[in-house]
Amino acid sequence: MAQCVQSVQEFIQDSFVPMVAVLCSEDAEKVTRKNNLNFAELLRPFCRLTSEGHIRDPNNQVQPVKNLRISVNNVCTRPAPATGSLSPAQRRLLGEVVSSIQPPEGVTANIITAGDHDLNRSLKASAPWYSAWRQTLSELSSSHHYTATTPWFEAYRESFLQSMPASDHEFLNHYLACLLVVSSSEAVPVEQFLKLSQEQHRIQHSGDYTNPRWFIPNTLKYYVLLHDTSQGDEQRADAVYEDMKQRYGSQGCYLLKINSRTSPTGADEQIPDPWSQYLHKNNLLKANSVVAENDIGSSEVDSQDSADKGDHPLQLDCPPSGGLDSLGVLPPGGPTAARAAALAAAGTHGDCLTLNDHDHIRQFLQEFTFRGLLPHIEKNIRQLNDQLVSRKGLSRSLFSATKKWFGGGKAPEKSIAELKSTSGLLYPPEAPELQIRKMADLCFLVQHYELAYSCYHTAKKDFLSDQALLYAAGALEMAAVSAFLQAGAPRPYPAHYMDTAIQTYRDGCKNMVLAERCALLSAEVLKSQGKYSDAATLLIKMTSEDSDLRSALLLEQAAHCFINMRNPMVRKFAFHMILAGHRFSKAGQKRHALRCYCQAMQVYRARGWSLAEDHINFTIGRQSFTLRQPDNAVEAFRHILTNDSQQTATQQGAFLREYLYVYKSVSAESEASLPKLPLPCIHAAATRVYFGHERRLAEGEKQAATNVSLDQEYDQEQAVMWCQLEEQAVASAHRGVVPAAFQPSQCCLNSQTDNLRTPLAVVEEPIIVEVTFQNPLKVSLLLSDLSLQWSFTPRDLSSPQQGDLPSDEASGEPITNDKVGSLVQLYITLTAARLKLLPHMIGQLNILGVAYNLASVPSEESSQPLVVRGQQDLEIRGPRLNSTKEDKTSVSHGQDQRLHPLITPPMPLMEVFFLQFPTALLCGEITKAYVEFCNVSGVALRGLRVASTHPHFFTFGGVGGTSSSSSSAASTPLSPTSAEVCSAYHTLAVAVEIPLEGGVLRPGQSAQLPLWLRGPDQEGVHEINFLFYYESAEKGGRISHRVLRHNVFICASRSLSVCATACPSSVPSADHRGRDAEDGDHLNDGMLVFVDVENVNMSEAGVREFHIIQVSSCSRQWRLHKCINPYKDKDCKLTSRERAKLCFRAARCKPLKGNHRRITPFLIPLLRQIVSSTTPCADFFFRCCPSDPVKKEGRAGGLSHPSSRTTGGHWTWGGGPIEAVVRTCNELDLNIIVLWKAYVVEDNKQLILEGQLHVTLQTVGKEAFSLPQKEEAQEMVLLKFKPDLPPPVIQPSVEQLSTLIKTNLHYPETYSHPFVHERLCVVPVTLTMSNCALAEVEVLIDLRHKTISPDSTEVHGTFTWLGQTQYRRRLRPQEVAPLPLRACFLHAGVYNLSTPRVFAKFTTPTRKEEEEGGVAVETSQQAASPALIIITSQA
Amino acid sequence: MAVCIAVIAKENYPLYIRSVPTQNELKFHYTVHTSLDVVEEKISAAGKAMADQRELYLGLLYPTEDYKVYGYVTNSKVKFVIVVDSSNTSLRDNEIRSMFRKLHNSFTDVMCNPFYNPGDPVQSKVFEGMVSGMMVQVS
Repeated sequence: MAQCVQSVQEFIQDSFVPMVAVLCSEDAEKVTRKNNLNFAELLRPFCRLTSEGHIRDPNNQVQPVKNLRISVNNVCTRPAPATGSLSPAQRRLLGEVVSSIQPPEGVTANIITAGDHDLNRSLKASAPWYSAWRQTLSELSSSHHYTATTPWFEAYRESFLQSMPASDHEFLNHYLACLLVVSSSEAVPVEQFLKLSQEQHRIQHSGDYTNPRWFIPNTLKYYVLLHDTSQGDEQRADAVYEDMKQRYGSQGCYLLKINSRTSPTGADEQIPDPWSQYLHKNNLLKANSVVAENDIGSSEVDSQDSADKGDHPLQLDCPPSGGLDSLGVLPPGGPTAARAAALAAAGTHGDCLTLNDHDHIRQFLQEFTFRGLLPHIEKNIRQLNDQLVSRKGLSRSLFSATKKWFGGGKAPEKSIAELKSTSGLLYPPEAPELQIRKMADLCFLVQHYELAYSCYHTAKKDFLSDQALLYAAGALEMAAVSAFLQAGAPRPYPAHYMDTAIQTYRDGCKNMVLAERCALLSAEVLKSQGKYSDAATLLIKMTSEDSDLRSALLLEQAAHCFINMRNPMVRKFAFHMILAGHRFSKAGQKRHALRCYCQAMQVYRARGWSLAEDHINFTIGRQSFTLRQPDNAVEAFRHILTNDSQQTATQQGAFLREYLYVYKSVSAESEASLPKLPLPCIHAAATRVYFGHERRLAEGEKQAATNVSLDQEYDQEQAVMWCQLEEQAVASAHRGVVPAAFQPSQCCLNSQTDNLRTPLAVVEEPIIVEVTFQNPLKVSLLLSDLSLQWSFTPRDLSSPQQGDLPSDEASGEPITNDKVGSLVQLYITLTAARLKLLPHMIGQLNILGVAYNLASVPSEESSQPLVVRGQQDLEIRGPRLNSTKEDKTSVSHGQDQRLHPLITPPMPLMEVFFLQFPTALLCGEITKAYVEFCNVSGVALRGLRVASTHPHFFTFGGVGGTSSSSSSAASTPLSPTSAEVCSAYHTLAVAVEIPLEGGVLRPGQSAQLPLWLRGPDQEGVHEINFLFYYESAEKGGRISHRVLRHNVFICASRSLSVCATACPSSVPSADHRGRDAEDGDHLNDGMLVFVDVENVNMSEAGVREFHIIQVSSCSRQWRLHKCINPYKDKDCKLTSRERAKLCFRAARCKPLKGNHRRITPFLIPLLRQIVSSTTPCADFFFRCCPSDPVKKEGRAGGLSHPSSRTTGGHWTWGGGPIEAVVRTCNELDLNIIVLWKAYVVEDNKQLILEGQLHVTLQTVGKEAFSLPQKEEAQEMVLLKFKPDLPPPVIQPSVEQLSTLIKTNLHYPETYSHPFVHERLCVVPVTLTMSNCALAEVEVLIDLRHKTISPDSTEVHGTFTWLGQTQYRRRLRPQEVAPLPLRACFLHAGVYNLSTPRVFAKFTTPTRKEEEEGGVAVETSQQAASPALIIITSQA
Repeated sequence: MAVCIAVIAKENYPLYIRSVPTQNELKFHYTVHTSLDVVEEKISAAGKAMADQRELYLGLLYPTEDYKVYGYVTNSKVKFVIVVDSSNTSLRDNEIRSMFRKLHNSFTDVMCNPFYNPGDPVQSKVFEGMVSGMMVQVS
């Protein structure tokens, strides 16, 4: 139980005090009225005696009486109510008493610590919520008054005990004495005394009145003469007093002088007001009830009927009404005046009393008690004792014997069955059992507990044997109490007495009031002995349905008991607190109910008992709301809704509705600022911000560039790719150098982008913020009227402008807020809402939060959904930092500037549209589309560039190109020069400048450019990204450039497969020699180029046939100069899966200097020549055909792996010049361009598609394909822990070395020889050796060598070479040298002349050979093709 | 089988509560909650000296009209509570004991998970599955 102000002993003593009645004459009443008090009230503060009294017990032992208190009350003759239960009025009064006393902090004491138990004790720091909990606890102990007292309970108990009706079975609250008060101003005071005395006698003995019960028949009468010193004649009073002394004896009367003060209290004088603490709370009630009392007063005669109304302890203080009408003091005037008087009474008391008067009163009471009351009691005890002792001898045994034998013949009322059933027996007042009880009560009142206990014990036995339940219970109760109060405690406290008493009261007598009193006493005693669990059980047992208030208070006390146990039972405490709170709320004690729930809350808060917590929160919310504490209510409801609720959907819906209702009422009260709503949750990190207009998808046939949009998911790879493209574009705009301050522009910011920089937004361009809401509930939420809240600082002004309510005056607004009118319905999932801001001024914008209307989705169509408006802050926490050690060890977050854009001056804004942009192409197909650039802003733009991931996919035509389908038409290519010899493209440049007229696009202007597209070489779907770069025509803005992104998907299908091979032609074509020599070309070594073209198109229905219209070559050294077409007259036409072979002769021409290459168109006969260099062919060719191996290397690295550029390829230039020579000998830097036309049927229309394919021939004899061959699966790059060995010097292979020298035999095809005449036939043969290499070669010709091949059978014998069989020659680079030989034949026949073996070696040794000793090894050269000679015999 | 299985942390807040008739969840929360008092009594009754050799299984905590409540306390004072339907007479002490042992083993596994913060609600799927296996199957 809660701690009380009084000790238990004091409390019990004060519960049972001697009662003294007051009868007051009218004049005396007037005297006291001056002080706003009646006589009894006047005495009340002084009723506790400070000095010690003495009393002699029957054995003449002196017994001290300490700290005695007496109770002085006006006589009230109204009948007592039925004793079994409290009257409604009493209940109401008790309720008022309880509700008038609230915990000191009132409602703010949401958390009151329970007892001295530290609720924190059972917690451990490991719990995740511990720190928060710890915080609240420390807050609580520091800020709130630490209290565990329950003053309302004590007040209740006091009022309850005071209101105990006097009953027959006990005498403790019967009047022992009567004060007769008469004023000295009375004409004949003695007569008045007589009158009063008679009145008292009449009340006690006439039998008319049952209510004021008197202890002993001859009640002590004490005569008090009240003298008003301010008015009356003092001498007269003294005289009267003398007279009284004569009449009643000096011990039976007193002269009390009061009202010494005449003037009203000065402000400077501080007189203590001892009455206030006694009367204050009563007066509070009086103000309410005085009207009713007045009714009683005015209709005094029939007031008895309505006595119930005023029947509460206050009434005891009221002037006795009813029969004592002469004494009734009523304030004049109606009820209102009475109320006013009552209110005034609440103000000050004892105005006319000085401190001396206080002393007088105290003295008077002391005198009265010690001289009058105590001797009177002493006398009575002795009398009773004598009676009992005299009777003891026979009575004790006799009574019991007779009772035993005659079974209740003694008890007269026993026959009345019903009485017995209710309260047991009724004894006549003079019954000896009652005498014992009476004596016991007297002893108890004067604190002679030992004697009292023995008497109670005796009485108890008697009553029990008589089956007088009520009496017995009373005796048991008092026996227990007096046993407890015995100082020495010779016997333990008989708790079972109390239990029996309570049970008897409750069950046997149905007297809940007494049972309650008994329980209160017992619980208090048990508590003092530390038996908290017993006390709690007792209190809980006393709760019943009949009185909610009592139950609530007792449950609360029980809860306090639980928490005060040695092992505090926290959960029981909380549980009973909740029960108490429930009962309080049923009893209408809302504040107490709220307090109880709050106390229970501290046990359950954040403990994970979510259902219990929800229930408590819900109740707290409701109670707070009814108590007009909407903030607390909102808080409580917020808890229910925001914590991870495990409630069912319907329950959540109910919570939500309740919350919205409460919330609405709160927000209606406070209009000032939008309150924060807890629902729904905002995922701040998922917020995305988009700067710019929303994308227009298409405009008619125009297809807009797919810029960044909020619909796209963020893709890290894509972002990197775009960033690289932008870097390239910027680099090309800054002449190949990326400026240090370069930052990729970000249109759409999300959690993965770099948000450390302040984003830049452009004035008059919208900012779209996508806010992600999450609904934690199982019911839907309806959001409407969303708008962003922001603050804005103009660039030059420092004063921030607040903006949260979008106003209509758009002109003055720096920012306009686009409301999202549509409803967003949330159901558990995440929903994103896009909110738009349009800045009109330059400055710093801070987006602070979101304001919206929240409503629940109405369950029925009839009910209007509650709508509340509120806001939530939008604060984005940056990513967790993890770079430094401090960052790693602590939790620190970076900044996130997503919501704080800087509004910059206008920038150009470009839109790009594509027309006739294809989606599917054949591989290599060339088609034309148009691209349109529009400047939609008010600022001119310049420096338009485009960067792409597939730079060979497109090329721009000039401005103003007409839409001609022919590829050779007017549209001029973009290539730098239309000359046949064009400067090679810088293939690394992926960023291409777009030719605009004047390079500037004016505001509102648009430019249309033709765009040539060539289908990718590989079939499949290709994603092609364009990045358009442009700058403002005005320099110096914050934003250096802007970009526009576009990506397309092109589906490429197979067209033709071109396979080309080159092999050295063995015949140095003599017929060309002359002409070529003019050109300066060396035609000593021609090449044969075979081009295999195959139609590999899969869709036979679509593509009818392909026509090869032209084959062009492009090389620095070679050119195609002759077509060796096996079927010259035929059109080169390829239907499905058909294959054609074209054969060309290529000749070496004078190498061009520098990077220039030559495009030599070589046309297929019968077809018109196309000037390749004037069509986009060249563009495409140069873009996609890296002929120079070094460049290829660089380019391949440049696009995909820039880093590998530095490492260099494996392709190194061998060792020394010899290796180079060897290589170049095999090198063939020749590009073949095949132009084709395809006849395609589409929708019954025949279309002609054109295209081109490129083949790069690099090595003699190797096949080259237009279609990139499937590459072997790339080997996993092994992790290397050692630096790579330098790549071994590549030795020219034997094969390579074997092609150094080309040999030809020149001889007559047939030779006739008259073998008859001459047996030997000698034929001159010329061996032509041509050095293919660019170095001097030593050649060894060995004629002796026989053919080794087994199949070359020498049918007719052999021929022999005549003359020198071995020659050595030195051949200068590219020298052609003839060597005359002679062959000798013996027979006619066919001979193969190609038997000479040719060995060659370089005159300077290769590096390897140097290493191996410097001996150059000769390498056998490839044998020439068989050279057959026919020798005929001439007849 | 069980109708409600609960794991309560040392500090008496629930780590895991699962009950089968979900519509009556509050009642089971209440049952489990009140059982903690009994558990505490039983532990303190066992005394400190016996704490080391203490039997982890506490037996029947208290019977209610509809349910029987069994308790089990690990050495780290984590409490397991199993509520069984009173009408289910087939369950004997031994079965309950084995259920607790299984629960304890599974909970140990949860604790062994390096990603589990002691004191957090149990969210392990394995544990969930094991508990489901011990619950009454409600169609």
